[in-house]
Amino acid sequence: MSGGDPVLQLSEVTFRYRLPNWPKPWLKRLGAGIHKVNLDVHSGSILGLIGPNGAGKTTLLHTIAGLNAHDSGNVRLSGQDREMLGWANAQRHIGLMPERVNWSGTSTPREALRRIVTMRGEGDSPEQLLELVGMRSRMDTPLENMSQGMRQRLSLACALLGSPDILLLDEPMNGLDPVAQAAFRRLLRNLADSGVAIIVSSHNLQEMELFVDSLAILHRGQMVSYGSLQDVERALGCSPSLLIAGNGWCPPSAGSFGVGVTMEMCEAWQGEEWRFTLHRNDGWTSDEKHDVLQAIEGAGGRISLLQTVLPSLEDLLSAATGEAADEIGFEIASDSMIPVRTWEVGEDE
Amino acid sequence: MNRLAREKRILNLSWFEARQHFRSPRMLALIALLTLFIGGGSWGLSDPDSVVTAQLQMDTPYEILFLVSLFVLFSSTLGVVLLGFDGISRKRLTGELAIELAQPIDRTDLARAQLQGLWFAVFAPTALTCIIGIMLIYAQMDTWPSIGEIVYFMIPTALVIYWYACIQLLASSIAKDLGSSVTLGVGVWMLFTLIWLLVTAVIASLMGVDVTNLESVEYNRFSEIVDLFSPNGVYQLLLENKLTGEDRPTMSATYIWGAAVLWSLIPSVLFLTRFKRLKP
Repeated sequence: MSGGDPVLQLSEVTFRYRLPNWPKPWLKRLGAGIHKVNLDVHSGSILGLIGPNGAGKTTLLHTIAGLNAHDSGNVRLSGQDREMLGWANAQRHIGLMPERVNWSGTSTPREALRRIVTMRGEGDSPEQLLELVGMRSRMDTPLENMSQGMRQRLSLACALLGSPDILLLDEPMNGLDPVAQAAFRRLLRNLADSGVAIIVSSHNLQEMELFVDSLAILHRGQMVSYGSLQDVERALGCSPSLLIAGNGWCPPSAGSFGVGVTMEMCEAWQGEEWRFTLHRNDGWTSDEKHDVLQAIEGAGGRISLLQTVLPSLEDLLSAATGEAADEIGFEIASDSMIPVRTWEVGEDE
Repeated sequence: MNRLAREKRILNLSWFEARQHFRSPRMLALIALLTLFIGGGSWGLSDPDSVVTAQLQMDTPYEILFLVSLFVLFSSTLGVVLLGFDGISRKRLTGELAIELAQPIDRTDLARAQLQGLWFAVFAPTALTCIIGIMLIYAQMDTWPSIGEIVYFMIPTALVIYWYACIQLLASSIAKDLGSSVTLGVGVWMLFTLIWLLVTAVIASLMGVDVTNLESVEYNRFSEIVDLFSPNGVYQLLLENKLTGEDRPTMSATYIWGAAVLWSLIPSVLFLTRFKRLKP
């Protein structure tokens, strides 16, 4: 993560949706939202915003983008309060790529971008941007004939208009094939290297781990953990495990690998074959992995597989909230965006 | 950004909006409707052998135009519903609205562009069909309406399309899904176009006005007042105002034009206010 002042700073930002309160629709009741979120994002960094469905990722991105007016807290862009900057100036700092925009109609990507350029009142070239996102040959294809991957690219091109300092991408990998995903990750890295601060939301930790510099975990509208991937894992006690498979001698217990290591046998003996996972709270350095290999091979074991296994999002959330993984799963399916913290006195629920 | 540049930007965005409507398959349906109703109406009503009803005067081209206005009212306002019922809700469902609302443009400007785009997309073909209708009237009657009459006919026509555009976009901004969009859009159109007579009769009966004789002076006066609360009614009253003799409305033109101003202001303000608070 780059040093210096953050380009985006959120202090205790809270936003709750207003829902109609039948039979008195004029008396709105508070709905789900985000609760006292703190976040610093530096230019040139990529922050992964991760959480289950309904955690508040989109709400947080929309609040940063100014689409939701926050109820309390402070949003600062390049060191200035959002409100002080004024609407148009604040929006010039931000590029938003919403989730799964289903571009439709008979117009073309070139025209759609031209329209957004006109809205921004800037002189960007739609053609250059479309070329950047790999749509040179599809500039004049009717929107309704485009695949979801093409639509994602067009949404990214819209977000890149005006060269914003902060890029907010909501589930950008949805609908992209693996090759396009790799190209997308490279593009994001290049943008970050040129100084753009990027926030990417996803519910897929394994996908995030490939390109983010830091991670923020959202659950039921609250930020439960924030920092580099290693810091988050360490803080939650969910470091990556080592999955080892082989044959011959098999270590009888975790004691063979030092203090603080736990061992879990994954498969029963199948003749000479074995497979187990090793876990320690601090994770595994290259040297430590090497020591494990040596300990097994020195005792006559032969290793056929050594793989680092990242903790799942469920593991992280379970560690952060103290809830069992199946309870979290149930909550995701129900009313998951209501903050779990204690209500403040006098707050209307 | 100065005022002139802002207005130019709004006009450009309106043109983008209108162009999208012009290229949509719905425009084909609208053009068919307008041609059949306005063109057919102009040709049929100006036929010297046609007899509609003894009470309607059809001696001058403007009187024919006034009768054609019933077809304009039916087809053009339906056109606004066709093109505009999902003007906001479709963008909300596809996610395009979030992109538009996140741009550094004042939301009032964005809403105005949307409104003007829809208005122009319906008014342009309506005006064109009306001009064709005027030519057909000339072909049948061998007289043109005066330039003043044509301009006078076009102003309320432009206004009624604008009022409907505001109402449709307002309804579309309230609707959260396509079903609600259709229900709200068509519902409002049906209220003013098809069941307003019934509404008038019910209110009249509740107010103690004799509804057994719809030709009575008392009922006519009452229905003129109720018509001020309907865009279609105001449109008809504005056009009737140019007629001569008994066909003129009994109420003062000030009330009618006052209602026209209020119909131009209130739905616009409601739509712009709603758009400012819109969430994607």
